[in-house]
Amino acid sequence: MQERLSIAMISDFFYPDVGGVENHIYMLSANLIRKGHNVIIITHSHGDRVGIRWLLPGLKVYYLPFLPIASSATLPNFFTSLPYLRTILLREHIHLIHAHASLSSIGHEGILHAHLMGIRTVFTDHSLFGFEDAASILTNKLLASSLKHVDAVICVSHTGRENTVLRGQLYERSDKDPTTLAVRKNVYVIPNALVAEQFKPHPPRVSETITIVILSRLAYRKGIDLLIATAPRICAAFPNVHFVIGGDGPKLIELLQMREKHRLQDRIELLGSVRHEDVSSVLARGSIFMNTSLTESFGIAILEAACAGLYVVSTRVGGVPEILPKDLISFANPDADDIFRAISEAIQIVSAGQHDPYRAHERIKRFYDWGQVATRTEAVYDGVIKSRQIELWERIRRTMELGPFAGPIYTIILIVDCLFFLFLEWWAPRQDIDYVTHEFRQEEFRKCMKEVELGEPTCLGEVIDQSAVMTVPELLKVVNTQ
Amino acid sequence: MSAEAENWEKVLWKRQPYPDNYVPPDFLSSLRRNPNFRPYTYWSLVSLSCAVTQHLATICIFISVFVHLQEQLLDPRTLIWLSVGCFVSGYTLWVLLDQSQVALDERINILKTFKSSILIFLALMSLSPVLRTLTASTSSDSIWALSAILLLLNAILADYSALNGKEQLTSVISMNAAVSASAVLASRLTTDIAVFGLMLFSIQAFALFPFLRYRFQASGSAVQSSLTFGLVLSTVWFTVGLSWKITCLYMLIFSFVTFLAPALLMWAQKYKNEIRGPWDVAVPRLD
Repeated sequence: MQERLSIAMISDFFYPDVGGVENHIYMLSANLIRKGHNVIIITHSHGDRVGIRWLLPGLKVYYLPFLPIASSATLPNFFTSLPYLRTILLREHIHLIHAHASLSSIGHEGILHAHLMGIRTVFTDHSLFGFEDAASILTNKLLASSLKHVDAVICVSHTGRENTVLRGQLYERSDKDPTTLAVRKNVYVIPNALVAEQFKPHPPRVSETITIVILSRLAYRKGIDLLIATAPRICAAFPNVHFVIGGDGPKLIELLQMREKHRLQDRIELLGSVRHEDVSSVLARGSIFMNTSLTESFGIAILEAACAGLYVVSTRVGGVPEILPKDLISFANPDADDIFRAISEAIQIVSAGQHDPYRAHERIKRFYDWGQVATRTEAVYDGVIKSRQIELWERIRRTMELGPFAGPIYTIILIVDCLFFLFLEWWAPRQDIDYVTHEFRQEEFRKCMKEVELGEPTCLGEVIDQSAVMTVPELLKVVNTQ
Repeated sequence: MSAEAENWEKVLWKRQPYPDNYVPPDFLSSLRRNPNFRPYTYWSLVSLSCAVTQHLATICIFISVFVHLQEQLLDPRTLIWLSVGCFVSGYTLWVLLDQSQVALDERINILKTFKSSILIFLALMSLSPVLRTLTASTSSDSIWALSAILLLLNAILADYSALNGKEQLTSVISMNAAVSASAVLASRLTTDIAVFGLMLFSIQAFALFPFLRYRFQASGSAVQSSLTFGLVLSTVWFTVGLSWKITCLYMLIFSFVTFLAPALLMWAQKYKNEIRGPWDVAVPRLD
């Protein structure tokens, strides 16, 4: 049994927003709590949601009063979060910060400040970025600067890791041969997972029609142009094929125009935006899932579809080729002719009954499981806690490697951050902080619950005898002291 | 890691007997650096930069013409006749250089052009009293600053590409900036006919000449270089009477743009480090 850790997940992206990163953070936290760790989440305020909220499996969420600038990301201002983070991290007795997503500036700030309090850091990168446009150049520099301080990096796919290693300069001179560069030892690949119970296959309908499901944001990056180019051809070639398209976005109008132009109103159904809890029922309507993304670091939607027993056709981009075995997915190049070919193949496979939805579901259930993800993440945490902490001088040296302009700028930021921290130590002394005490112990509770289930409540017995009208905190206090 | 371990595969869907931070030997094997690298050649760059020099020379000539008009060194009537002459000869050249050779009843085309040019001619003539007094109340300092900014905008946003493809928005903005610059400058002139002459000349130089320039660009480097040389020569001829210092400055700028800037670009090319890989956003092929 590992020692219990107190972990703070920090990211700009969290509930009430929904998305891949948000779901990942929540599921990972819930599973770490199940393993007996204390987990809190720190994010920025969403609307009037400021302060502390609790989510179901005992997950405490701090919403800091910062305003998001664009698509729920905050402005990287390096210092303003330090007073908040210092208080929260100290009062929660945090051992380790786990920051998520490379566009989340609050996560980067957490990594920058953590060493001041002797807290260790882990960073998970969820997305792929190029190297050529101005936005990528700026955010990559920001990422590289904060990854100079991080103790371990987790990527969600092998392609994602190659990308992050290049973007975040996660390489150093090799020990064996100092002339070559080697990837740092602390870069891990741990995939996403899914709750397989939410995506169960439905019994196949007895009919000739084959329904192709598309669930995606209707945007250029999701390759909707390819869908618009291929859907009429598929409809013309296969009279028994229907489309169900869920999602909303700027390309919706073009899709509607295509449908009108080719008079396919009865063959192509557009659902508009689909809530995450309805995804399963939409998937249940189809037998083939089509993904035309132009870039994708993991492709959780593909996984959900495959888990629900759909045969998948996808473009061969980013991390998608890694996530499913070859017999569950057909690949196409991002070109209309090749997608048409792959869809035709998939239609043949499905109509010949060569794809068994139940077997696919069972296999994916074995491959992807949040419990395993939490165990693997725990191993990363363990390695980080046992490793030597980077000293300030080493941090300065690494930061100066960023470049002739960025190096000194980020070094100044680092030093000013240390001075600001010293000021805060004097201004708001540690002994004045209202520390959190943990009343609840998962292990004890579970043991007692098991005993209750077995019908021999030894530890709860006295409590129940004493009074039937005891309040929950009192009950917990008794359980914990025993 | 066991010794008889199966080969590592780049997949996520099965647990492999390797730790999560295992770095495979083919790590980054799909990374490609400078995949579309084409080394530049000096003289092709010089020939391409001729378009920039030509445009800058046009702006310089325009400024000189304005100064000549304002100092009353040039009779506006001469300028108008010169503009008309330029238009006729330029239009003839433009038709002659047409490489697509679609002789679709060209006479009607020419008549149409003639009609619309007469219309513009008359419209400008009737508007010139208005233009002369339009910004008369603004101080001259503001006018110089404004016209300098507008001409700079024109030079920055102009379309210097060699291919006469679709007209971009920036080149439209560029043309508008130049015409606005001449409109504000025109208010510093004293007579209506001088205002008319300047406006006519600015439309020739900034709206029509770029079209002719594309045709020249398409017809080979000998024509290209002689046109550049001719424009630079006329810049010198127009400016040297006003100030030899400015002439020297112009010559420095022209030689920098034509000869030094391509060399700088070639030198900078060795620092090119373009990184491509499977994480890039794919380009969809739709046909």
